[in-house]
Amino acid sequence: MENRVGPLEGACKSYEEDLVLYYYAETCAKERATVEQHLAQCLRCRKFLDDLGRVLPQMAPKPELPQAFWDDYFRETLVKLDEQSARQNWWRRWLQPMNGWLLPAFGTVAIAVFAIALLLPKSNFTPTGETAPVNIPAEVLVDSSQLEFFKSLEILESLSTLEEQDSSKPEKKTSGIENRRLAQTVA
Amino acid sequence: MESPQDLGDEELVALCQKGQGHYFDVLVRRYMEKAFHIAYDFTRNKEAAKDLSQDAFLRAYANITRFDGRSSFYTWFYRIVVNLCLDHARRNGRVLWESLDKTADEPGGQRQWVDTRSQPDQEAIAGEASRRANVTLESMPNKQRTAFLLRNQQGLPIADIAKVMKTTEGTVRVYLHRAVAALRQSLVEFV
Repeated sequence: MENRVGPLEGACKSYEEDLVLYYYAETCAKERATVEQHLAQCLRCRKFLDDLGRVLPQMAPKPELPQAFWDDYFRETLVKLDEQSARQNWWRRWLQPMNGWLLPAFGTVAIAVFAIALLLPKSNFTPTGETAPVNIPAEVLVDSSQLEFFKSLEILESLSTLEEQDSSKPEKKTSGIENRRLAQTVA
Repeated sequence: MESPQDLGDEELVALCQKGQGHYFDVLVRRYMEKAFHIAYDFTRNKEAAKDLSQDAFLRAYANITRFDGRSSFYTWFYRIVVNLCLDHARRNGRVLWESLDKTADEPGGQRQWVDTRSQPDQEAIAGEASRRANVTLESMPNKQRTAFLLRNQQGLPIADIAKVMKTTEGTVRVYLHRAVAALRQSLVEFV
């Protein structure tokens, strides 16, 4: 390498960018011809281009690594890829056994819900929570008049019990209060 | 039957997209050195470069179904690598390239700004030139630095750099020229 320590001279301002691109072989044929024509007559630009050629290749050289490094690198990368795939697919594996019936089941349920939703407005369904009339046998049904009848029977039984007690005991004068209570009960 | 190593990038990607993930191994083998060296240019650290470039492969594989083939696989993949490197730089602060002295210990990493048989004062000047050049690289805007590293270090054509950086070729040319001009300026006393 040339052992030179000295100032780096600038190129002609209008050619500087073109010279950089020329150095990197990024000029089109027309630009290249123009630059080469200029270089033939400009010492400063030739020196500038020469400096680029000396300095730029030395910027941050690549480390030379042994083949073992690349073998390890490759192996490690594959292991990491496998681990990543395993992490990404755990839920797929979990769902795998259900794949055979899960989709049809969900489809059937969805269709059923949809059908019910379509039919509901046409039915006698009332959203107030009232139940539909049910055919219950007449002998099971007990209406309010029958209930009153049974209550009256209970009262009569109570009265007869009292009368029995009265007849077995010596005649006792009932108080006015008891009479009124009894009358109220009968009523 | 064609060997997987003989298949083009796009064919390998298409096979991966069809669920044959083992074909991605070929892409790893094909691009691992490039990916590592890009990351190394940004980090100047072997371990960080290894982690970042491997992470780029993981991301590329995870998103392989999103690759639509509008660009080549390698520009798509380099974009992932560069973005990871820039994120790494943002998170950790820029790494000063003081490893220039360290690289002298690594095989092939010797800096040779001047002849290694030169006088001690010339070696000191060379060391200072290296330090300045790398401080200049570190202080460059990310886009200039990316354009410079991809062109100068990786040899990517400007058209591909434009795709990686999602910008125009004209803009990359400007970045490249500015980066070189800045480097030249920093070395004005030494070269």
